[in-house]
Amino acid sequence: MLSERWLPLFDWAGKTWLGTTVRDHVLAFPIIETFHLLALAVLLGTVLILNLRAFGLGAKTSTYATMAAELEPWMLVSLVILIASGIPMAMSEPMKCYESWSFPIKMMLMVAAIVWHFAVQRKRQGKGIAVLSILLWTSVGLAGKGIPYV
Amino acid sequence: MTILSACEWLQSLPWASGIKESSWQFPVIESVHSLAISVMLWPAAILDLRLLGVVMKRRRVSVVASQFLPWVWVGFVTMVLSGVVLFASEAVKCYNSPFFRVKLVLIALAGLNALVFHMTVFGNVQSWDEAQAAPWRAKFAGACSLLVWVGVVAMGRALAYA
Repeated sequence: MLSERWLPLFDWAGKTWLGTTVRDHVLAFPIIETFHLLALAVLLGTVLILNLRAFGLGAKTSTYATMAAELEPWMLVSLVILIASGIPMAMSEPMKCYESWSFPIKMMLMVAAIVWHFAVQRKRQGKGIAVLSILLWTSVGLAGKGIPYV
Repeated sequence: MTILSACEWLQSLPWASGIKESSWQFPVIESVHSLAISVMLWPAAILDLRLLGVVMKRRRVSVVASQFLPWVWVGFVTMVLSGVVLFASEAVKCYNSPFFRVKLVLIALAGLNALVFHMTVFGNVQSWDEAQAAPWRAKFAGACSLLVWVGVVAMGRALAYA
C-alpha cells in the first residue's frame, strides 16, 4: 500500500473529467479493458515468442534477431496502448488503486520490465535472461489482475 | 431439463460453488484465462496479418503457420478448459447474459472460419506460399479471424461487468 503522501494525487485523479467519465459510463471500463487485454496479448505474446526460442519452443527455425526485428515494433506499440488504456482505468477508481498492494507492485514491476527489456534483453539472450523476461512481464499482468482483490 | 436448470445444477456442484465462495480461486483461474490470450491470440493474429500482407511478408505462409499454429492450439485448449471452469462457477449469470451468448456464437464463427480456410484455400498453399499478397479468400479469412477474436475478448470483458 502507498504512503499517505500519494493520497492527493489519487484524490485529484478521481475528480478529473477522465476519471468521472469512465466511472459514470457502465461500458467504458470494459471497453477500455478490452484494448488493454488485446495489447497485453500482443506484448506478452511477443515476449513469449522471442524468449521461448531459447528452450527450443515455437519459432526455433528463426533467429532471435529476425524475429525481434519483425515483432518488436508491435511490442512497443502495444506497450504504449497498455499505458494509454491503463491510465483512464486507474483514474476511474483511484482509491481502489491507492488502497491495494497490487497497484504499486505492478507499477514497479512494469518499470523493471521496461528497463530490463531495453538494457538487457536487447543486447543479450540466453536461458536465464529468457526466464526472467517472461517472469517479469507475466507478473506485471498478474499484479494488474490482483488490483481489485488485494 | 431446460438449459437454465442444467446451468443451475452445474453451478450448485460443490467444486463449482466452491470457486465462487473462495476468495482467490476465481481470480486465479481468470488470470490463467487472460494470460492464455497471449499464447493464443497474438500467434493467431500473426498468421492473420501474414495473410493480409502486414507482417513477415518475406516468410512463407506455410512456415508462419507451422511456427505459430501449435501456440494457437495450446492457448486455445487452456482458454477452453479455464473458461469452462469459470462458466460453471457462474453458469446462471452467463446464461442470462446476452454478451455470453454473442461470445459463444463468435467462437463458433471463429472455428467455422478456420475450418473453411484449412479445407479450401490453405489446402493448396504451395501455389501461393511465397506471394506477399495472398489470394483474396485467404485475406478474407485472416480479416474475419482478427475481427471475430477481438469481439470474443470484448464480449468476455462486457460479461464480467454488465
